Amino acid sequence: MSALARLHRPATVEEAVRLLAGGDGERTRLLAGGATLVAMLNAGLVDPAELVSLAAVDELRGIGTLPDGGLRIGAMTRHRETAADVRLAGTLAVLREAAARIANPVVRNMGTIGGSISFADPAADYPPALVAADAAVEIAGPQGRRRVPAREFFVDWYATALGPNEMVTAILLAPRAPGLGSYDKLYRVAGDYAIVSVALSVAWRDGACARAGLAVGGCGPRPLHLDEADELLRAGRLGAQAARRAGELLAAAADPLDDVRASAAYRRRVIPRMVERALAAARDELSRTA
Amino acid sequence: MSGTTRAIGASTPRLDAADKATGRAEYADDVARPGMLYAAIHTSPHAHARIRGYRLEAARAIPGVKAIVTGADLAGPHCGGIIKDESMVARGKVRYVGEPVAAVAATDPETAGRAAAAIEVDYEPLEPVLSIDAALAPGAPLLHEDYPSYVKTVQGGGHGNVVFESTVEEGDVERGFAECDTIVEATWETQAQHHVYLETNGCVADVDASGRITLYATCQSVHHIQQRVAEELGEPMSRIRVRATRVGGGFGGKHASNIHSIAAWLARAARRPVKLVLSRMQDFEIQRSRHPARVWMRTGARRDGTILARDVRVTIDGGAYADESPPVLAFALLMSRGPYRIPNVRARGAAVYTNKLRAGSFRGFGNPQASFAGESQIDELARALGLDPVELRLKNAMRPGDTAFGGQQVPSCVLRECIERVRAAQRAAPPLAPRPGRRRGVGYAALSHISGLMGTAASVQLRTDGSIALATGCVDIGQGSDTVLVQICADALSVPIDRVSYAPQDSDSSPYNWKTAGSRSTYMTGRAVALATHELRAKMLAHAGDMMECAVEDLELRPGGLVGLKGLPKAVSFKEVALRSLFHSGGPIAATHGFVFDGPGFDPKRAAIHQLAFANLGVYTYGAHCVEVDVDEATGAVEVRRAWCAHDPGRAINPAACEGQIQGGFVQGIGYALTEAMHWNAEGWLTTTTLADYKVPGVLDCPVEILPILLEDPDPTHPVGAKGVGEISLVGAAPAIANAVADATGARVRRLPMFPERVLAAIDARA
Repeated sequence: MSALARLHRPATVEEAVRLLAGGDGERTRLLAGGATLVAMLNAGLVDPAELVSLAAVDELRGIGTLPDGGLRIGAMTRHRETAADVRLAGTLAVLREAAARIANPVVRNMGTIGGSISFADPAADYPPALVAADAAVEIAGPQGRRRVPAREFFVDWYATALGPNEMVTAILLAPRAPGLGSYDKLYRVAGDYAIVSVALSVAWRDGACARAGLAVGGCGPRPLHLDEADELLRAGRLGAQAARRAGELLAAAADPLDDVRASAAYRRRVIPRMVERALAAARDELSRTA
Repeated sequence: MSGTTRAIGASTPRLDAADKATGRAEYADDVARPGMLYAAIHTSPHAHARIRGYRLEAARAIPGVKAIVTGADLAGPHCGGIIKDESMVARGKVRYVGEPVAAVAATDPETAGRAAAAIEVDYEPLEPVLSIDAALAPGAPLLHEDYPSYVKTVQGGGHGNVVFESTVEEGDVERGFAECDTIVEATWETQAQHHVYLETNGCVADVDASGRITLYATCQSVHHIQQRVAEELGEPMSRIRVRATRVGGGFGGKHASNIHSIAAWLARAARRPVKLVLSRMQDFEIQRSRHPARVWMRTGARRDGTILARDVRVTIDGGAYADESPPVLAFALLMSRGPYRIPNVRARGAAVYTNKLRAGSFRGFGNPQASFAGESQIDELARALGLDPVELRLKNAMRPGDTAFGGQQVPSCVLRECIERVRAAQRAAPPLAPRPGRRRGVGYAALSHISGLMGTAASVQLRTDGSIALATGCVDIGQGSDTVLVQICADALSVPIDRVSYAPQDSDSSPYNWKTAGSRSTYMTGRAVALATHELRAKMLAHAGDMMECAVEDLELRPGGLVGLKGLPKAVSFKEVALRSLFHSGGPIAATHGFVFDGPGFDPKRAAIHQLAFANLGVYTYGAHCVEVDVDEATGAVEVRRAWCAHDPGRAINPAACEGQIQGGFVQGIGYALTEAMHWNAEGWLTTTTLADYKVPGVLDCPVEILPILLEDPDPTHPVGAKGVGEISLVGAAPAIANAVADATGARVRRLPMFPERVLAAIDARA
């Protein structure tokens, strides 16, 4: 940082959006928990002139229950809070498990869900979990509020559906259904970004699969997800054959890179194995609880 | 001696622990001087290039810039260890990306950084040499065209891009193999590991009105830094003073650096203090790594498991400058026989230059590379022979009175006991529940290392109130030597440790010490402390004898600083002895003891040694590791579940510190085995320059149970029997884990780190 950026502390979302719109494009940055942005500042990767802190925007804080029984996770909700919220059970447990696997306690105490998904690192823990849970992202901008399904929110490497001067205000989750959610991560050291991660959300009723959501992280520009794979799993009641086929489909659709964490070829190889393992564990759990 | 509480053998808390835990300890970056400037380094963007010229006008024009130095300012000889091939900033050529090319001192860090970036250097890029094979290829570009003219303190037969070549040979290898029933052979590859001390390298250079420089540095030896800076600045050592700050970890990576001479040079030029503390990224780029190595090894045995012959070829990648490559190579060769009785051994090796960060000393010093190969091969040999790998080790293990490779006799050796103890401990432990999808394996490694080499000294003085002032040149780099040396001194005088002060290291006043390195502090400096204290005690007793009018033989030390008359209550205090010496007769009571390692040397009748880069070393120490791992069948990921580490510290001066060294070494060994790797791309850029890219295992990656076992067998050459355990504890992790992975899966991984990807590939290759 060549000089200290000017810090704004708006009290409302609308004020924050106005500050963004009045700023100088890339040089005006939203500051949420700072887990990523401050690290980037320290590394000299960003050089903002203005920082808009969201710390004083009450609306963005905490996890609330919606009238339909769904949940609204404010953008400034810390990972630690998400990891500890018992309402994230059943189909929604995937989110809680993903939150608990992010980095380390310091980062979980500071980092926020809105900040994390806005940065949209495809190897981060939330993106595949939100896609598996079929969450929606609430966005505020100069034109007001809108909602985007998580499956459309992540569009490319570090790129989201956020338009100019837009910000994430919340994650919206449909009411939890009986079933399960799980999140598995292959990593170099605990707390690192994923080499490959597998997020699973399954609605299970009367011995039948009502809905399956499967997403893979760390293997391409955005969370890897195929409606076809979800449908195979649902129709096949998460059976071993369906799991194998779903894993193969996802591996074939994956577009990973060779990077410092692992090679692309290894990731393609491991995707079906991790998918099969996640589904075997799901079958186990469902048979135990049925 | 009638002492009831002995200082030796007590797990006394570290003397520096409270200061470190509460943030009071002063590290290099905490040092501030009035009017201090800040330095920034301009580094090379090329792995290999000729420097055609510099344009400094833009940098000079920036307000606040007080001094600039480039290679054009250096006129003196090159510096370095055994081969003097480098200088604080590049001269004529750059040889790795990140090499310091110029440096700036300015009134604040931001200005210094801008000025360093404003320096323009005209380069003529040359083809980089980025691997051992590339360095040795016919017609390879030469890194050091001037190699023949460099000053060398030991001739090492370098040629082309070869820095140094060594050979150690005992017996007749060809004849030995001819008598073998089973022979195994393979090649192992190891990576560059970084030390990742919590505190990066840094220093502050101050300058007085006469131009004399005082350097505050985080380092492993004030004397070594003083010598190097004096050499580079063309000053007598009397004009350079080096004071050690607290050191936030060294592991070998703070034995030398470009930064000390750069800061001193800039301070002298600007006539103001200069601070130079490396960022994590720059520390990765310009400091040092463990040598990447390729080890080819062939071992043969009779059907009954008697190992008869081993042939070894070690090639280490030294990077751009020789630094510690010659001794690391030599030590790798000496360790390549392993702690076994093998009558016919030939170890040949070479260190090569490449256009990468120079490799240097790092906990283990060539032994981790050699032992990864050797201890893996023992398991492979056992499998080929159809024998149990532990029994094969026990059958061939060295015993007291045997000779080390090189021919020195070893008086104390508890290797067999170490191996048996870890096996018994593992067998006695309640089994961990099996986990679905994971395969469990158990692996062993047997180890040896040294703890005696080079020179050191200690001085002790009796103060007015009977307190003791101890001084040595041994810098505590986090391993606990301050505490251990004070314990040795206090024990010899039967006083509590708080009656002994320990002086921080200062080249003006500290007795000489080579370095905190080579697991040598407790053996070498500890021995000097004990013997200096014994001499002090003798002088005190002589005074007490005069005072009580009795023979010295009738006196005894009593706890708490008293000299008593045996069998009688009569006594004089240390204070009374001191006052007499200071104000009445005899003069101040002080003693100094210094020595250079004096153990039995290599035996030319046993071993043919060619260019070994060591005059002598020894005081062998032995150990054994046993690990349990889980290997994930789906991904190849390896998890270390439990480890037992038996070591022979001679005598544990501070058992808790010993155990801490063993656990810390083992954890650093897990990183070496599984996660840590520096990586350079095809252009020679280091791509792992942050802790996001370079992964050190954290607490969740290490087993809760790393169980040290101390097998004390006092060393007869040390006054209190102590030896070192600082390095050997790292050495066993990689081979023990590799052997456990093989036990779990049948797959042999011969390349470090054992990334999941490589383990999975080895599992595939098994079929």
